[in-house]
Amino acid sequence: MFLDVLFNIDNGYLEGLVRGFKSGILKNQDYINLVQCETLEDLKLHLQTTDYGNFLANEPSPLTVSVIDDKIREKYVLEFQHLRNHAVKPLSKFLDYITYSYMIDNIVLLITGHLHQRSVQELLPKCHPLGMFEQMGAITVADTSASLYNAILIDTPLAPYFIDCISEHDLDELNIEIMRNTLYKAYIEDFYNFCKELGGPTGEVMCELLAFEADRRAFMITINSLGVDLPKDERSKLYPRCGKLYPDGLNQLSKAEEYDQVKMIAESYADYRPLFENVGTNPGDKTIEDKFFEQEVKMNLNAFMRQFGFGVFYSFLKLKEQENRNIIWIAECVAQKHRTRIDNYIPIM
Amino acid sequence: MSSLFRGEEMQLCQIYFKSEVAYSCVSQLGEMGIVQFKDLNENVNAFQRKFVNEVRRCEEIERKLRYIEKEAVKEEVELDEADQTCDAPKPKDMITLEAKIDQLEHDLVEVNTNKDALRKNYLELIELKHILVKATQFFEEHNQSELEDTMSKTVMSMEGPLVIDSIVAPSMRLGFLAGIMNRDKVSSFELMLWRFCRGNVFLKTADLTELVEDVTTNTLQAKTVFIIFFQGEQLKNKCKKICDGFKATIYPCPETLKERREMLNGVSMRLDELKTVLDQSLNLRRSILVNAAQSIKTWFAQVHKMKAIYHTLNMFSHDQKSIIAECWAPKSEINRIREILDLETKKIDMNFQTIVHFITSKEAPPTFNRVDKFTSGFQNIVNAYGVPSYREINPTPFYAITFPFLFGVMFGDAGHGLLMLLAAGYLIKKENYLKKAIKGNEIFELFFGGRYIMFLMAVFSIYAGFLYNDFFSKSTNIFGSKWKVTLGKDFPFEDIQQFTLNPDPYANETYKMYSGTPYPFGIDPVWQLATNKITFTNGLKMKFSVIIGIMQMVFGLVIGLKNHLFFRRKISILFEFIPQIIFISLIFVYLCLMIFIKWIKYAGTDDKLTGACAPNILLELINMFFLKDGTVTVVDGEKKYDECKRLYPGQHHIQMVFVIVAVLCVPVMLFTKPLLKLREHNKRTKYGSRFRGHVNPLSVNGHSSDEDDKHDKAERMGHTSNSVINLEDDAELENEEHFEFGEVFVEQTIHTIEYFLGCVSHTASYLRLWALSLAHAELSEVLWTMLFKMGLNMAPPVGAFVMFFIFSAWGVITIGILCVMEGLSAFLHALRLHWVEFQSKFYKGEGYEFMPFSFEKILNEAELAE
Repeated sequence: MFLDVLFNIDNGYLEGLVRGFKSGILKNQDYINLVQCETLEDLKLHLQTTDYGNFLANEPSPLTVSVIDDKIREKYVLEFQHLRNHAVKPLSKFLDYITYSYMIDNIVLLITGHLHQRSVQELLPKCHPLGMFEQMGAITVADTSASLYNAILIDTPLAPYFIDCISEHDLDELNIEIMRNTLYKAYIEDFYNFCKELGGPTGEVMCELLAFEADRRAFMITINSLGVDLPKDERSKLYPRCGKLYPDGLNQLSKAEEYDQVKMIAESYADYRPLFENVGTNPGDKTIEDKFFEQEVKMNLNAFMRQFGFGVFYSFLKLKEQENRNIIWIAECVAQKHRTRIDNYIPIM
Repeated sequence: MSSLFRGEEMQLCQIYFKSEVAYSCVSQLGEMGIVQFKDLNENVNAFQRKFVNEVRRCEEIERKLRYIEKEAVKEEVELDEADQTCDAPKPKDMITLEAKIDQLEHDLVEVNTNKDALRKNYLELIELKHILVKATQFFEEHNQSELEDTMSKTVMSMEGPLVIDSIVAPSMRLGFLAGIMNRDKVSSFELMLWRFCRGNVFLKTADLTELVEDVTTNTLQAKTVFIIFFQGEQLKNKCKKICDGFKATIYPCPETLKERREMLNGVSMRLDELKTVLDQSLNLRRSILVNAAQSIKTWFAQVHKMKAIYHTLNMFSHDQKSIIAECWAPKSEINRIREILDLETKKIDMNFQTIVHFITSKEAPPTFNRVDKFTSGFQNIVNAYGVPSYREINPTPFYAITFPFLFGVMFGDAGHGLLMLLAAGYLIKKENYLKKAIKGNEIFELFFGGRYIMFLMAVFSIYAGFLYNDFFSKSTNIFGSKWKVTLGKDFPFEDIQQFTLNPDPYANETYKMYSGTPYPFGIDPVWQLATNKITFTNGLKMKFSVIIGIMQMVFGLVIGLKNHLFFRRKISILFEFIPQIIFISLIFVYLCLMIFIKWIKYAGTDDKLTGACAPNILLELINMFFLKDGTVTVVDGEKKYDECKRLYPGQHHIQMVFVIVAVLCVPVMLFTKPLLKLREHNKRTKYGSRFRGHVNPLSVNGHSSDEDDKHDKAERMGHTSNSVINLEDDAELENEEHFEFGEVFVEQTIHTIEYFLGCVSHTASYLRLWALSLAHAELSEVLWTMLFKMGLNMAPPVGAFVMFFIFSAWGVITIGILCVMEGLSAFLHALRLHWVEFQSKFYKGEGYEFMPFSFEKILNEAELAE
């Protein structure tokens, strides 16, 4: 405990920075104002009064949602990269771990895009900038997961996660989805163990966050695969085994065949029971995803209550992502004049 | 005139404009920069305000201007300075300006796209040329004889093992791809190729020696030309995809040497043609930009002004036909404002009228002190502590002298002061040039902003340095010492270690060492030789510090009195100021008096009254508090009188009276004011209940005299009718219902304790004047003896060389440590003495600054932001 004080030698500056960045996150009042916007120009005007400042000042009008999206992302990516560039071990390693999940997303995006006959030059700008790696462009050359692994991923930090999904099957959509989930499972488990090894406040905060993430994935995989022809044992292989659901909950989930069964399973976990309550798909109701997002935001905010840990870096990025989703949601609603669901954003503070 | 001494009187005004004239009126007010508008729409979102579209248009123009400016800077076109005097364009001119800039941007974009297309073409051709050259080189290296032969054989013979397949099927030709890519990616590219094609391709690379401009990013990059040999279509596709992934560009490259030569020639020719076309379009672009550069900055200024006007208009409340603004303005300027507004209004339509109307408010007015470049530095120091409350005496004019003076006392060295004077003089002389040159350099701006403070501080430290007779820690003997040693050669100097000079000017010829008149200015240089120099200067400086400090504190109290008189706080004068001044006079001014008596009485001219038996002033003060007679010492139960210690007859009794009276001041200050307030409050509430009880117009009369009083008071504070200001003594007017005796009493207790204990601790605090000056003198002396003297003691010619280095070390330390570091420290202490010891006697500092709407300020800020 006492040695926590030494944390500041290497990471104090960056922690201060990240807390400063976090204080720039939009408040409730900002959302209330944003929701009242009539056009995207209004949105821009209001965002100018926030921490975003003049980030859209040099964009020629008319504005589009995708420009706003790109610029928002550019801003927090820049902040994150600034943090990463100034970090030393083990924080640098920790921050790298965060970027792996974006790498997985990018790989999947590229392969799916390729399946749909899109060219690489068209796909590359759509990739998340935090998940860029050198060999990315060549991914489309691979047609089986084995060649993907042997030729490309072997050089990336994702290589160890990939061992479970090497097969000579051609890549089709289901395979890709399975691949993504297998990768994610391995990634989360690895990240979890890494944080556990780090211990201290980092371990405490991050393990909880990652356990939640793991369980969310387990729930989502189950719910999404309910109608799909996916063997049960295949499905259970995709569950990350570091959450609170492990082992009993996961065991039950793998057997679930209907949504109500999933809900029953969640009933026995105090953390997840409230998330399945009052859920619906009618307008005005919250979807289960939103519920999970809300819970995630709450947990990420709590991470800022702890000092001397790396949790804040992870939480900052997640909160910024949520903010990005919120603004884009509002912007889309404004742009499409579809105001009935504009309030379905997830307030952060 | 008096606005530096006391902030100007402010008036809250309401201005009614016709909608048509509001714009030009606000524009004129912006040029004047003397009104502060209030935001009347605080609860309205930025994008829901009235003129949001105009603001947006301004922003759009700004964006275009920024684009043009960026292009101009890229083209290295010189930008003309802005014409700051240009008026904000009228709304109808805004459209022409908008159109002009729009056209310009449009032209520029068009030229740029044209140019970019040409340039892309051009760069691609250059790359192709490089490839052709390298490929030719490569093929020639390996194949000098069989020019027209198939490629397969050539490569086979050279790289047999790699292309083993082609031996099995000699009829099959090897294909190849040639391209160019960034050099940093080559190694991973090679690895990837090898993995995907399982070693069945052969890659040859050649680095380009010069940097090549990249087609997409327009930056110079190191590039590498590569040629891949492979066999069969499948591999070709794979290779192409990999090249694609690595953003390598593949160019068609003919297989035979002859074709390559022809192509090379063709490419060179096309390059030449393109170059001329490209040059033409570049020239066109340049001429557009040169044209624009003349007025870009002026346009910027115009747009900034326009945007500011619309932002201001957004703060007003709008009717159908008229616009209402609320603003603070100095009373002295109101006539001018009216004139300007009238003029502007009449210009547009003779029938319109703009009405300026005074309104009253409970809100405290802003504090407006007119400052110039000399006083602004001092005002900044004051504001850093707290902006003066409305109409309170502003300490700035006093700062202008006392601040540098106290600094000089601590930094007393004429030599160091001279260096500082040179630095400050340079900053002042070059101020117009420097103001622009240092923009953005925060640390330097700090020094620059304080250049006049620095100048005065330097002057005063030179003054104090001559008083202390310190010039780089050495004494100067300008007027000739008034002391001389008259003992003659036969005096046994070797036998005695110390000799005290005789201070009696009337002594006989042999012992007359003091001429009788003191050294005309400062300390006699003879002290430089004395072994007890430090003891002597310590005593002197310490006493001076106390005298200076008490003078400043009493002065602070007097300013407080002026404030009380101005605000007509009778209670505060009688029961706060009077006990305070009595207390400080009887104890601390008396202390100063004792110092003077001691100096005069123990001058050394009287044999009985020597320095050895003189009373210690500190002990005298302590004895005074304990009501003890300092001349009495009790030895074995027997009282002994020491006449030498008596400063003047009757001292003990007078001191006893002083202490008792002084102590009595404490309860007077502590209790009277809160009790009087309580009584007043009780009276008021009685009045109030009676007033509420009978709704009788007659009873108002009883109240009205009180009201008159209030009215009068308010009038003095620059207010019409019964508006009220949030000052301590007037709080009861406003918050009659909120009177809480406990609160008032606790506040008064704190105030009392702060003052009476403060007097003691603040007096002690002024000793820092001595402490810092001692530290400074000692440090420079040590530097002299340890460093400079060492060099001077060395024998030539070695000494000369050593001296060269020693002098530089001495110089660096003198400037770095003694001038800069010690200067900062003395500045800090002077600051503290003013903020805490001086200002606590009278200053409230609860106001807020007057921030007029001024174009000048807005343009400056915009320039800084760039």
